[in-house]
Amino acid sequence: MEFRDLIIDSSDPVLVTGAAGFVGTRVVEELLARGFRNVRCFVRPASDTGKLEAIIGRCGGEGRVQVIKGNLLSREDCIAATRDVAVVYHLAAGRGEKAFADAFMNSVVTTRNLLEACVHHRCLKRFVSISSFSVYSNQGVTRRRLLSESCPIEKHPELRGDAYSYAKVKQDEIVTEYGKKFGIPFVIVRPGFVYGPGNEGITGRVGVGTFGIFLHLGGGNPIPFTYVDNCAEAVVLAGIKPGVDGEVFNVVDDDLPSSRRFLRLYKRKVRRFRSIYIPHGISYLLCYLWEKYSDWSGGQLPPLFNRKTWHAYWKKTRYTNEKLKTRLGWTPKVPSTEALNRHFESCAKKSQHA
Amino acid sequence: MLNIAIVGCGKIADSHALQIQRIKGCRIVAVCDREELMAKQFSERFRVQRYFSDLTELLRQAGPDVVHITTPPQGHFSIGKQCLEHGCHVYVEKPFTIDTREAEELLRLAEQKGLRITAGHDDQFRHAARRMRELVRRGYLGGPPVHMESYYCYELGGSSYAKALLGDKQHWVRRLPGGLLHNIISHGIARIAEFLTSDMPEVIAYGFVSPRLRKMGEEGIVDELRVIICEEERATAYFTFSSQMRPSLHQFRLYGSGNGLLLDQDNETLIKLRGHRYKSYLEQFVPPIVFAGQYLRNLAANVRSFLAADFHSKSGMKYLIESFYDCVRDPSVPLPISHREILLTSRIMDAIFEQVYGCAEQSRRACDPAPTI
Repeated sequence: MEFRDLIIDSSDPVLVTGAAGFVGTRVVEELLARGFRNVRCFVRPASDTGKLEAIIGRCGGEGRVQVIKGNLLSREDCIAATRDVAVVYHLAAGRGEKAFADAFMNSVVTTRNLLEACVHHRCLKRFVSISSFSVYSNQGVTRRRLLSESCPIEKHPELRGDAYSYAKVKQDEIVTEYGKKFGIPFVIVRPGFVYGPGNEGITGRVGVGTFGIFLHLGGGNPIPFTYVDNCAEAVVLAGIKPGVDGEVFNVVDDDLPSSRRFLRLYKRKVRRFRSIYIPHGISYLLCYLWEKYSDWSGGQLPPLFNRKTWHAYWKKTRYTNEKLKTRLGWTPKVPSTEALNRHFESCAKKSQHA
Repeated sequence: MLNIAIVGCGKIADSHALQIQRIKGCRIVAVCDREELMAKQFSERFRVQRYFSDLTELLRQAGPDVVHITTPPQGHFSIGKQCLEHGCHVYVEKPFTIDTREAEELLRLAEQKGLRITAGHDDQFRHAARRMRELVRRGYLGGPPVHMESYYCYELGGSSYAKALLGDKQHWVRRLPGGLLHNIISHGIARIAEFLTSDMPEVIAYGFVSPRLRKMGEEGIVDELRVIICEEERATAYFTFSSQMRPSLHQFRLYGSGNGLLLDQDNETLIKLRGHRYKSYLEQFVPPIVFAGQYLRNLAANVRSFLAADFHSKSGMKYLIESFYDCVRDPSVPLPISHREILLTSRIMDAIFEQVYGCAEQSRRACDPAPTI
């Protein structure tokens, strides 16, 4: 691989946080495949590092990869992890946290600690922060409902009832703030729904199974999927390509399947289950009623469903990856058809073992 | 208008803020967390005007009437003391303090200063629990309690709390003298303490690390506990904490010399257990009908509370806070939880931890597979 046109050399230290995670392992694999020789993987003490070690072994990463166990809530651990590092890929996040305080602490406080550590060392060339599509408000997007990097961010994420998106909005804010205040060169990467072997769940953008029967809410909406290998490549490019400091990149694949098509394929290739399609008008009305009842009752029903959630997840929207292609030279190396086949194969295997 | 401050902006602080917002005549004026970002996010989400990372500054600038302490338990004593010395009434989340010595000192200080203090044993103020207390007050048991059984279980699998605890060897819960037990069992012990009359009953405790946790390589978290509590020639009680048994119960059974009561927190039901027996086969036919009627009445009560928007998952906390604020406003109103009950809960917990951790050490050394009771 040619390093001449990149902001770092193959021997420069690169830090990957959340390296044992679903996307993190693939980012490490991509870095090794591109010839980087000094990759530092930061994992939680209790992380299962089996997959990461297998990747390191497969890619001949011994001697090129260092695995550090630590806690990003510890400033000392952050200082140690970022020493001499040229690029930070910050993938660790408080996923799956239902409580706002927990999600915030594990996404924002950890990010602040890492940024502080980078300010302390003064040798960073780029900080790549992994965000999410869930930060967009998707309200007031009228021009053929195309969601791009310039679309407005949710101004009141606390009202959406979703701890993860709240934490991601705040994480983006703190990264931007440190960029302005301390000159930290950063790039924010916002993947859509990352899928593939290792993440077999059905995204809430397709529907929810909370009420016993699966409510299909997506209908004909394209689902902003990005296959894990494609996403990992986009993340890696965001950390090494010159001239993109301060930029935001949305990551979605080409030829996105509709929610209806995805669900049909899932039922055919993985397992059959009953679902009911809820038309968009009805789902909007239900979200509105839930929101009003939640307000009136002082949170007797938590505000999980509301109009903001509907706009963010179930409103018909189109997606673009134009900026990713033109500025980073990214193209999805696994086409959607192949990616979906691999995904369903993995889902079927997991379903058999369950 | 009572001015309220919350110190400690973690997960449980959200529940406090949500319940305080449901109570008339009070407002949250400031919040504090050692981590300024946490205090800031909390103030933004709950629209609290001021946030601090220094408690001294909060007390000086915001001048709250009542402070809710929602930090990890290791901070309860020092924060509580500082707030009392500053003249604030204090609501301390459970467990009240790390040990009885700290609890005694805090309660003594509150008495000296003429201030009110309570422990966050909010489960005792849920709808069914309040109905139970009223029945006991009216003499349904037919005399003082003879025996009690308190189940307070906890499912370790799946919850983010458990994941954080099992995954982090430095987690603050592990540093408590009673570990996981210390942070959870006070609700179940306080239920028993409420009906005991002696100041220091005998406590016999046995605890161990479950086979499931051992298999995961976890040796330091005691997640199974059985306790016998007895007052000399008076009431006795059994307490059970388990991470393994299913269903994962949160129940309290109270037996008097006349009748008994069964409180099921999970189903929010209170069932009267009639002491008198029916004649012959009627004992097999009438009670099931009576129980069915009681469960239907419980269902109706739950539906009524839900329709009245008074069936929140932390409904007990609202009633405890409201009762506490009432006694802050009017010194003639008694405390919702007496100092004696707080101290007794603390003493029983101290006795349990003293025995269990010795026992767990021994079982770690001598027993493989894990001992059974």
